[in-house]
Amino acid sequence: MQCKKVTASREKLLDPAATEWSSIPGESLTMAATPLANQPSEYIKASRDERQIGKVKSLMVQSAHNGSEIFFRLTWGDQEADTKITDNNIFPDGCGILMPLNGGDPPIEEMGTKDFPVNAWFWRADFNDKAHNTVARGLGTTLFSEKCPIQTKSLFGQGAWAVVFTRPLAVPDQKEETAQLAAGKAIKVGFAVWEGSNGERAGLKSFSKEWRELTLDA
Amino acid sequence: MAEQDAAQLQLQKEQRAKQLAEEAKSIKAKLRYSKRQVAMVFDLNKCLGCQTCVVACKTLWTRDEGMEYMWWATVNTQPGKGTPRDWENMGGGFRDEEPEAGKLPVTSDFGEAWEFNYEEVFFGGKGNSVHLQPSGNPDWGPNWDEDQGGGQYPNSFYFYLPRICNHCTHPACLEACPRNAIYKREEDGIVVISEERCKGYRFCMEACPYKKIYFNHARVLSQKCIFCYPRVEKGVAPACARQCPGRLRFVGFLDDENGPIYKLVKKWEVALPLHPERNTEPNVYYVPPISPPRFDADGNIDESKPRIPTAYLKYLFGDKVEATLDKLKAEMAKTKAGGKSEILDTLIAYEWKSLFGPFTKDPAELEPRKV
Repeated sequence: MQCKKVTASREKLLDPAATEWSSIPGESLTMAATPLANQPSEYIKASRDERQIGKVKSLMVQSAHNGSEIFFRLTWGDQEADTKITDNNIFPDGCGILMPLNGGDPPIEEMGTKDFPVNAWFWRADFNDKAHNTVARGLGTTLFSEKCPIQTKSLFGQGAWAVVFTRPLAVPDQKEETAQLAAGKAIKVGFAVWEGSNGERAGLKSFSKEWRELTLDA
Repeated sequence: MAEQDAAQLQLQKEQRAKQLAEEAKSIKAKLRYSKRQVAMVFDLNKCLGCQTCVVACKTLWTRDEGMEYMWWATVNTQPGKGTPRDWENMGGGFRDEEPEAGKLPVTSDFGEAWEFNYEEVFFGGKGNSVHLQPSGNPDWGPNWDEDQGGGQYPNSFYFYLPRICNHCTHPACLEACPRNAIYKREEDGIVVISEERCKGYRFCMEACPYKKIYFNHARVLSQKCIFCYPRVEKGVAPACARQCPGRLRFVGFLDDENGPIYKLVKKWEVALPLHPERNTEPNVYYVPPISPPRFDADGNIDESKPRIPTAYLKYLFGDKVEATLDKLKAEMAKTKAGGKSEILDTLIAYEWKSLFGPFTKDPAELEPRKV
């Protein structure tokens, strides 16, 4: 996957509907259910059917940077936006970007390990575009960092969600909490989507199965 | 070759899943572990349905935003649909040690926290023309079917069932949480939810067969009865127990051989858990209600049949309920004949503080918390 170097302004790229995105290359990823056998809860394993998990089967990912900030635009089809927890049995839509926190090859389907943590950028429809920056060291260990260097902007229309994430490439004061990126370098990335109407939350989601190599233009 | 590789990969995946399951199991065992266990016994023969426990809890713990609809302590009329409505038919718990799927109770099952027209009636000069009433058109609430009960006149019957979180020895909620946010306190076995770890995913709410977990919509996390642990830590009984005018809520450690809990549950076996078939091993126990006799077709008293069908009590408290009721009746016969019964004396609780085991301290004597 390519992260294209662009000159468009931050304001433009942060807008999921901006025309600038039409000239940025993207890739359509096949999404699959997270493995039920790995769920860190016997209850979840006993009460779910893997075939019912991961309602979103395909995700379009585009990426660009302007030398100081990186942008991702995630788009996927959804008949209805689930934006608020209006009752106990209602769950909002969400999406996330995953990358190794300090490089290496952490297992993507296990959300990293103690020694090889992963960094997730997490957007949920009920967060009012206040993204979460999280670190995980294994399944069910995700913790939010207090300071979040990520910004998101989302848009729902014509049966699709479009969510843009942006973050400075380098965040030197949060090295323990968020992955450090640089132009000309490659990183591993993974993606996840939660379909709220399907009761998807926590580890119940669709994901991109394996790491993808994302090369940032020099 | 490709087939072999695929088979190999599948095997590796399965082995890894097994390994992960083992790791998760050992974490859960630690979260479940406690050195001691606090417990309560509710004597259903004494509960008068006054709801004082319910209000004591509400006043102390669930007044903040997002907690309006929460009633960690409830009292419902049995037979009845209970709180949340129909909770007994929502699944959860364990069968043959396997977790069973449960349903998420929705807000209308609990009943909204109604707004009343206090201003208008009490201060708006309309006291003689407008009734005090909730806004909207409520059709269910936490005590909606109060005193309806079951049976046909003249053999109608009901009793009250107070409920809190059961602080189970094998909590389904703890087992369900994918974030390990729920644990038993090592010192007293009280089940608590870490508000730092909880992300409001509500698997606990699904898995709890007693439906005693509440989702806080304002804070997007789950909350539940905490057995008043800040009071317990200071030697004060939980508010629901101390405020109970009926003297029916016993508190103490399950292993304290001199305390009322041990005696009622272990020694005399006159207190039973609710729906033991859910296999969570609750730590709230009930002295089952003794029935008045039935009337026969001619209106005469028929001592041979209890007014409350035994099958219904078995449904609630398991097969042991018959033996328990027989024991209680035998004790009553003993005192009727002029004898003494330590069991009945304990249940009567002549001395108020005898209800509370080691938790007899008056909360008014505590240092006020510095804010």
